[in-house]
Amino acid sequence: MLSQNIAKELNNIAGKENITTSREDLICYSYDATNQKFLPDAVVFPKSAEEISLILKLANREAFPVIPRGAGSGFSGGSLPVEGGVVVSLERMNKILKIDTDNLIAIVEPGVVTGDFQEEAENMGLFYPPDPSSLKFCTIGGNIAECAGGPRAVKYGVTKDYVLGLEVVLPTGEIINTGVQTAKGVVGYDLTKLIVGSEGTLGIVTKAVLKLLPLPEATKTMFAVFSDMRDAANTVSKIISSKIIPSTLEFMDKESIGCVAGYLPPDLSGSIEAALLIEVDGDKDLIEKEALLIRGICMENSATDVRIAGNRQEAKALWQARRAISPSMAKLKPNKINEDIVVPRSKIPDAIMGTRDIARKYNIIIANFGHAGDGNIHVNVMIDKSNSNEFERGKKAVEDIFRLVLSLGGTISGEHGIGTAKMPYIGMELSPAAIDVMRRIKQVLDPKGVLNPGKIFPRHRLV
Amino acid sequence: MKTLKQFTDEINKCVLCGTCRGVCPTFDVARREPASARGKVALCDALLKKEINISEGFIKHMTECVQCMACYESCPNDVNVPDIILAARTEIVKENGLPFIKSLTLRNFLDSERLMPAVMKFASNLQGLFFKGVPEESGLHRRFPLPLIDERRLMPPLADRFFLEGRKLTEAKGGNGEAEKRGKNLSPIRPFTDSPIRVGFFAGCLINYMLPNIGEASLKLIEKAGASVIVPPDQHCCGMPALGMGDVETAKSLALKNLEAFEQYELDYITTACATCGDGLRRRFKELLGDEYPERVNAFCSKVRDITELLVRELRVGSGEWRKGHTSLGSKLSAPGSVITYHDPCHLNRGQGIKDAPRELIEISGARFKEMSHPCRCCGLGGSFNITDYDFSMEIARSKAEDIKNTGADIVATACPGCMIQIKDGLHQIGVKAKVLHVVELLV
Repeated sequence: MLSQNIAKELNNIAGKENITTSREDLICYSYDATNQKFLPDAVVFPKSAEEISLILKLANREAFPVIPRGAGSGFSGGSLPVEGGVVVSLERMNKILKIDTDNLIAIVEPGVVTGDFQEEAENMGLFYPPDPSSLKFCTIGGNIAECAGGPRAVKYGVTKDYVLGLEVVLPTGEIINTGVQTAKGVVGYDLTKLIVGSEGTLGIVTKAVLKLLPLPEATKTMFAVFSDMRDAANTVSKIISSKIIPSTLEFMDKESIGCVAGYLPPDLSGSIEAALLIEVDGDKDLIEKEALLIRGICMENSATDVRIAGNRQEAKALWQARRAISPSMAKLKPNKINEDIVVPRSKIPDAIMGTRDIARKYNIIIANFGHAGDGNIHVNVMIDKSNSNEFERGKKAVEDIFRLVLSLGGTISGEHGIGTAKMPYIGMELSPAAIDVMRRIKQVLDPKGVLNPGKIFPRHRLV
Repeated sequence: MKTLKQFTDEINKCVLCGTCRGVCPTFDVARREPASARGKVALCDALLKKEINISEGFIKHMTECVQCMACYESCPNDVNVPDIILAARTEIVKENGLPFIKSLTLRNFLDSERLMPAVMKFASNLQGLFFKGVPEESGLHRRFPLPLIDERRLMPPLADRFFLEGRKLTEAKGGNGEAEKRGKNLSPIRPFTDSPIRVGFFAGCLINYMLPNIGEASLKLIEKAGASVIVPPDQHCCGMPALGMGDVETAKSLALKNLEAFEQYELDYITTACATCGDGLRRRFKELLGDEYPERVNAFCSKVRDITELLVRELRVGSGEWRKGHTSLGSKLSAPGSVITYHDPCHLNRGQGIKDAPRELIEISGARFKEMSHPCRCCGLGGSFNITDYDFSMEIARSKAEDIKNTGADIVATACPGCMIQIKDGLHQIGVKAKVLHVVELLV
């Protein structure tokens, strides 16, 4: 519970109508896409960096947690108020401030919905590539906090590759600008990259300068199905090694496909054990050629059916299927432990076959899908939490998966972040010395630990 | 109807992913989680777990839903949020009763055979006293404060002569005699013709009281298409406004009365030109009466077709053979060269799965068609939501009006009188003078 005084000061900062402590509202800001709930003490809807600065200064004086929140669509618990406190919702700061067609940059507020921004840029012949599956509702601020990726990362990279500069409110309330509004810049340490992917623990982004590309002339979407998972995995490695970089190279296994079968062409032939969603973009004539090459590689690797979408509508349906996989996994089991491991691309067959063995070992459903083209696989350990035995087996399977991934030279999270979900495992990948450096950075920027506490590092070890 | 508790499994299907935030029109305006479908599911979950009561806040958030079904359509786990919210509203009514104004309207007004037409008639005669005309838009602004009527609201005038009004006076044959035997003056509008296809027309309140032209146009088109049509005179409000407010009892009683009104005639189809009425007649009636009268209600519901669907799919208007006999169908309303755009009513598109039939009718009319961006986005009327939350409702209407404006269309066609009234108001408020018509009006 916040004291009357703090509530009053928050009222003064943001205006009475922009703070709420009603139980109904608190419930609506207690969760994110991890499907966990922690009640905050208040929710504030600020309109400016200055207001956020005052809130953080107050938090330092009165020692209460502040949790930044975009759309609440994260998969690692980044916006959960695990220790209560004040949720700072950036929903009102949702303006696209500028799209500069001469310099190929845009300046946006954090609450802008990623897909809306992309649409706006595309209307001007420009292109903002990062495309998390939640792009129709997630926000740029959240994407920056978690360094979101997406299917197009295989060709275009992830959010950090498009952030040139930021306006950030530090945990202690100072407002700073990082980076540049130019194509390059090396003045001082790269604080922009430090903030991107810091999961809302080092600052609250209030403005972002984003890099744009010219919109590719055309895209071609393909769907290939395989009767053996190994063939699909090999196809991914073969496409990459043949020096074609598709703009999307997505893998889905039998379990994943089953969840979204309704979206797919009904007449696909063969028994489907795995499928690839492949897209190429660029010059119209060139992509025709690339599409044929890719189809050839698929056939050589025993694809049972390859469909090339004939029009936008067909392509859209395939994409809908892909984007619906993650949330619709609930059709398999009520709960999922949702991992987003990455391995070197040549190791994809090993990673996928390895998780199959782990599934067998623990007698558990593991559904794999994701951005195979860049080695990033969403491994979903499907469980029923009310079945404690299955839950335990699931947790053991996750540890095995991480061990496998690290042994293949990979990383335990590609684009979701650590948050609360992967906190216990961070030590498997990072050395104590590396973790210590990160802790010290946090300590310098947030000495009182008010900003988004209880994330990334287990709290009790934070000095 | 299922109770909120019976929706527990449905609520548990929601994984709180947030997909609905991208399509929810109330969230789009409010930009706050409780206005989104996900927020409402979380609140219903909390209510069932007794973490909250039916508080003022809970009621407010449950009211803030236009029942457009966009969340349900986009949900990767097929969570039927609109029905969860309806069940919550029913729960609210059970606990708190209907608020005074609403209960007066619903229970004593919609449900009364005599009172509603009489009050509406009275209002029709006196409306000049309360409202001033706005000539270009053929609408009315209120002259001085009236309860429930916002001063900025553009109201369509009540019709001088209601659509159902004259029907009772017309001598007719063709019923099975039941009505006459009961000694009531219940005759259908006109005798059945020789056509083997018999259609019963359901008017609905908005067509009856405000937009009777749509009813007349529908009847003409049905006959032109070679079927015989009657208007069963003792039909009532479809009951959807009541259901929308959580008043299941009133909705049920109206559904039963309508069932009886149409059962008296041997009909192949029951049709309506109101998307919301149609969605109610074919889907909700089953939920309301299915337990008690499964066979009767199934027989009724299976005959229901939207007017556009009836014309295009059943009566084959526009097909090759049909075109041979009908060279010109273009309306006087659409000047040559005028551009038409179309708004998909939620209860037609998502409620009944009908998107193509109205567009085919527009094509037949010969007009130049231009699709607006987001044609399926709700206009924001949401039944009583427009009355309880007028500003909110108009914010949603404004996006729709902007989308229409961007097409440069001279005419907005749609297939729901509710949407028409809302879109007219929305266009008026941003100063766009496009005409708003029902698709059937393009063809007579």
